[in-house]
Amino acid sequence: MTAESDRSGGCQCGAVRYRAKGELGYPHLCHCRMCQKAAGNYFMPLAAAMRRDFTLTRGEPKWFQSSDLVRRGFCGDCGTPLFYDIPDTDFINLTLGSLDDPDAVKPVMQSNTGQKMSWFHALDGLPIEPQPETPDRENAIAASNHQHPDHDTKSWPLGESS
Amino acid sequence: MTTFSGGCQCGAIRFRVSGDIKDSSICHCRMCQKAFGAYYAPLVSVRGADFEWTRGERKRFRSSNFVERGFCGDCGTPLTYEAPDGMAIAAGAFDDPSAFPPVIQFGIEGKIGFVDHLHELPGHRTEEDAQAAPFLLELVSYQHPDHETQAWPPKELR
Repeated sequence: MTAESDRSGGCQCGAVRYRAKGELGYPHLCHCRMCQKAAGNYFMPLAAAMRRDFTLTRGEPKWFQSSDLVRRGFCGDCGTPLFYDIPDTDFINLTLGSLDDPDAVKPVMQSNTGQKMSWFHALDGLPIEPQPETPDRENAIAASNHQHPDHDTKSWPLGESS
Repeated sequence: MTTFSGGCQCGAIRFRVSGDIKDSSICHCRMCQKAFGAYYAPLVSVRGADFEWTRGERKRFRSSNFVERGFCGDCGTPLTYEAPDGMAIAAGAFDDPSAFPPVIQFGIEGKIGFVDHLHELPGHRTEEDAQAAPFLLELVSYQHPDHETQAWPPKELR
C-alpha cells in the first residue's frame, strides 16, 4: 500500500524504474537549449524528488555529464530521458513524461524563456489529425506494444515469468 | 534547397538533411510521451528529403512491431521515429528547431489535460534563475554546439 502522493515512473522499455515518495517540488518546464537538445524537444518538463525519498526500483540509468555541475540520466536500452541531477544536492529532478501518471503533476512555472520557441504559445491552436478511416495500423501497434505498462511490474523483460 | 543539421546533446550522433521539409507535428500518444520523457513528441518528417547520418550510429529500440525509435547510446537524446512509411526526427535535436513550427497534432487521445495552458505559466529568463542558483553564471557546457564540427569529441575533452 502506498500513499497517494507516491509517484512511480520509468523509461519506455521498462529497464529502468523509479519511485518517489511525497510531493514533487517545483514542477516546471525548462526551455534552455541544453534541456531542449537533451530531450530532442521544445522544452524539458522537470520536478524534484527529495533524494532520501527517491529509489531506483529496477535497473540503473546511464549518465551523460552535460556540464561539470549537471548529469543527465537516461535508459541505455531505449533512450528515454529520465533525470536531471546535480549530485551534491539533496534532490533529483525527474522528467515528468516518464512518470506513470504525468497528468497528476501540473507544472507551475517556465524557466529559461529566453530560448523558448517563438511559436510555443500557438501550439494549443494546432489542428488535430482526423481519426484514420481504417484503424488497422493503430490496432497492430497496440497488439505488439513493447512499451512497459504505466505501473510497476514483478519482472523485466515482460513475459519472463511476469 | 535548404540544408538543416542536427544531432544529439553530446555530439556523438550528427545528421544533415536537405529538401522541402514541411511535415512537422506533435504526437500526444502515451508511447511518444514515455519515449521522450515529456508531454509529447515533436517530430519532423524527412520522408522524401535527402537525409544522411554524418557522424556515429544511433541505437534503436523497437517500441512495437511497426516502429523503431532511435537515440544516442552515449547521452540518450531521442532522435528518430522510424515507421514503414518513413522516418521522422525529434524536432529538438535539430540545431535550429525553431525552423520547424508544427502544423498538426496526433494522438490526442493521450493528450494531457493541462498541455494547452503551459504557455500561460509564469516564466523566468536564465539570468533571473542565476540569482537563485549562482552556479549558472559559471556553467561550462559539454553539449555539442548547434552546428557541424570537424571532430568529436572536442580536443579539450579527449
